Amino acid sequence: MIPIEITVNGRRYRETVPARLLLSDFIRHTLGLTGTHVGCEHGVCGCCTIILDGTSIRSCLFLAVQADGSELRTVEGLAGGGELTALQRAFRERHALQCGFCTPGILMAAVDFLGRHPEPSREQVVGLLSGHLCRCTGYEPIVEAILDAAGER
Amino acid sequence: MPEPPADLARMLPGRWTGRAVRRVEDRRLLLGRGRFLDDLRLPGSLEACFVRSPHPHARVVSVDGSAALAVPGVAAVLTAADLPHLPLVDLLPIEGLAKTPQHALAADRARFAGEAVALVAATSRYEAEDGADLVEVAYERLPHVTDAEAALARDAPLLHPELGTNAVYRESRRYGDPDGAFAAAAHVSRISFRHNRYVAAPLETRGCAAVWDEAGGELTFWSSTQSPHLLRRRLALATGIGEARIRVVTPDVGGGFGLKIPIHPEELAVALAARRLDRPIVWVEDRLENLVAAPHAKEQTIEAELALAADGTFLGLRARIVGDAGAYSFNNASALIEPYLAAGLMPGVYRLRNLATEVIAALTNKSPIAPYRGVGWTAGHCARELLVDRAARELGLDPAELRRRNLVRPGDFPYESCTGMLYDSGSYTEALERTLELLGYAELRAEQAAGRRAGRLLGVGISPYVEPTGWGTEGSRQSGWVLVSHDAARVTIEPSGEVAIAIGTPSQGQGHATVFAQLAADVLGVDPADVVVRANDTAASPISLPGTRASRTAVVLGGAVLGALEELRERALRVAGFLLEADPADLEVVDGGVALRDAPSRRVTLREIAEAAYFRPEVRAVLPEPDLAVSRFHDPRATYSNGVIACVVEVDRETGVVSVRRAVAVEDCGTILNPMIVDGQIHGAVAQGIGGALLEQVVYDADGQPQANTFLDYLLPTAAEVPPIEVEHCVSPSPFTAGGIKGMGESGLVATPAAVACAVADALAPFGGGVDRLPLAPEAVLGIIQSATA
Repeated sequence: MIPIEITVNGRRYRETVPARLLLSDFIRHTLGLTGTHVGCEHGVCGCCTIILDGTSIRSCLFLAVQADGSELRTVEGLAGGGELTALQRAFRERHALQCGFCTPGILMAAVDFLGRHPEPSREQVVGLLSGHLCRCTGYEPIVEAILDAAGER
Repeated sequence: MPEPPADLARMLPGRWTGRAVRRVEDRRLLLGRGRFLDDLRLPGSLEACFVRSPHPHARVVSVDGSAALAVPGVAAVLTAADLPHLPLVDLLPIEGLAKTPQHALAADRARFAGEAVALVAATSRYEAEDGADLVEVAYERLPHVTDAEAALARDAPLLHPELGTNAVYRESRRYGDPDGAFAAAAHVSRISFRHNRYVAAPLETRGCAAVWDEAGGELTFWSSTQSPHLLRRRLALATGIGEARIRVVTPDVGGGFGLKIPIHPEELAVALAARRLDRPIVWVEDRLENLVAAPHAKEQTIEAELALAADGTFLGLRARIVGDAGAYSFNNASALIEPYLAAGLMPGVYRLRNLATEVIAALTNKSPIAPYRGVGWTAGHCARELLVDRAARELGLDPAELRRRNLVRPGDFPYESCTGMLYDSGSYTEALERTLELLGYAELRAEQAAGRRAGRLLGVGISPYVEPTGWGTEGSRQSGWVLVSHDAARVTIEPSGEVAIAIGTPSQGQGHATVFAQLAADVLGVDPADVVVRANDTAASPISLPGTRASRTAVVLGGAVLGALEELRERALRVAGFLLEADPADLEVVDGGVALRDAPSRRVTLREIAEAAYFRPEVRAVLPEPDLAVSRFHDPRATYSNGVIACVVEVDRETGVVSVRRAVAVEDCGTILNPMIVDGQIHGAVAQGIGGALLEQVVYDADGQPQANTFLDYLLPTAAEVPPIEVEHCVSPSPFTAGGIKGMGESGLVATPAAVACAVADALAPFGGGVDRLPLAPEAVLGIIQSATA
């Protein structure tokens, strides 16, 4: 068991964890932040995407101990005071979610992406999404939502 | 047959119903506050991991869990002998279909690689997996068979020797005079088509959790199921626990697409283990299990021939349809769903009076079959449409023109197909013409011809469909099924004036809560934000035996909800009349309450009405029972949606890669309750169809080992493969259902693989266009090009 200290959505956590514990399981089970989902546990589907020290990552490909000392953002940290962000509002407006299981990972990837590409082209957004699986929407509403959110910034 | 609520046609579209109302579900999900199965935390719970057979066919000689039990955290290793149960009962009897027993855990024989043999329960999944690694199972390998045709051979290894055969179903049917039709034909086209085995792959895998209350003898069972009441019934019949003592709770579900309709043996094992150990147990499958051990879908081989007159009129069709059933035939007639449903819909949108079908279901040493969006129809439709395109090429006719000549015509409705489906209404011709317009068909053909001269391979595929929807008992029967398929809804105006709707069909993303809130808002004047839809708890919902499947919720539950809402409106008007000292006939529902039609300032709110109904005894003069809760059952007549999916593809002749440049969908689901949700269903299903046509395939090697174990080797479509999908609507309200509503949701996956396959065949016409199997992965496409140029 290894002691770690991780900040998630501005709150600091001190926990002792097994070395093999995945970061995704740490976030979900140890901290109870179940908005981050797990769809494949091998880094393909993108459901577990979070932001670690400013960069979006697949939390199922990290061990919790690797995130020791890091600052994390998860979907629960997006909306301040329960107000949806422009990105979240755009998802609702464009019907860019149905079952909602892939949505948190895509939101976190998009937050990172829009930070780097404030005025993205459609192709860039499609490129971002080609690393995420969604089984419900056919993707186009998600592309539109991310472009809408970029336009509002 | 109950009459549809009379007022509905007048009501739609209303202020809310028929509009693109944004979903009430979204906020919670966007905030990361959804509650999916693996988000549950049950105090004192154990996590389960299954030990699965590495062999496609083997006798289970012994299971030794002693090493596993020594792992810290492992609480139990359970085998079939530890979890006795009554047989898993099939509630869907089909004449001529042989059933096979399937146990919660394989007892003496494992019949596919991945079948569960033992259950390890530990304090975490990590420890349960450690334990599972150490369970020693002695197997004695048996010969296996993984190809359906090979399984039918006389000397094939038998999966269930007591049956004496692997063919659990074999039946021929004739409609009209197929032999006469072929004798009279000017031309006969033929196809031998193999449809791939693929999977629903919801991003949330299967999972369940069981809590046994030893003192009360009660089981609480959480499951990411589409059919909670069916699951409760099957659990009850297999465990001997009464249905009143089983509560199935369905949390948010991360996609189902049919996979989550049947009970899964693992679910029964978890329920039995929780009772045996008297501890809560949670099982969440991982992706490897989901790809290998969860049921697969859609594998069929179809040999078909089409008889045509010289002018292209379809005279008759013959089809031999073989379904690869996998290892068991027990659950929802799983072994038969694919070939049987394919056969019933073989005529499709065409005036085809002479048909012969032979349907065979063969057991193989592969994972069993479950429904996946467009069950059976996807493969049958694809074979038929490829055959129609082939006939057009052979006769030198344009494929759109050949289809146009044979469509069921506008004056034909209601039209009974030769297999006994009564198409209630539809826009078959209009949808085709609209599709051609949207495509810019003539220009596209010119571009194709110019491209060919320049060495580019463009193709167009046009796939017109009819979709049996809204399965009530009659619709089910017309498709050859005998599952009683009515539903009930209970709608309550609470004392607060809020409206609670309890139904038994949970959503896996379809937005039921939004659509039923729209209906309630229009009928009762309530704000949609004040409507709560509960479909997640068998203790709170009226029975829905089928659950969410078969594009049925809008039609069947829609009718039940509307019936209940109308009765509640009548009661509310009575109470309002008492409060306002007015004749209820002079009142009308307005926003938030009821008002006098001629003096709108004299009004009462829904809350005032409800409080009076519940709490003022003098109201009993007009409402004898102080109750604003109404249950209504609904079992509508059959209804059929229609439309066309068309795809434009470009084939790279060097690499064999197929790019879908355009996907056009013209759909007609009658009265539309929420066009945004309808479009979303089309988008998602078309994307799944593109995946099935181009990418997805469950492959078994010669040793019976499944080769697709991760999303690195089982490819799902991404944003890079799916173009923007262009959707348009035609509206042919059903004359048979409440409000003219028809179901929808599956058609995109019924018709898209055919649209893509026909487009690729069209692009490859210079090479013979011999598309006869899916998926059209690069090597398959190159194979067609090379065999023609060799």
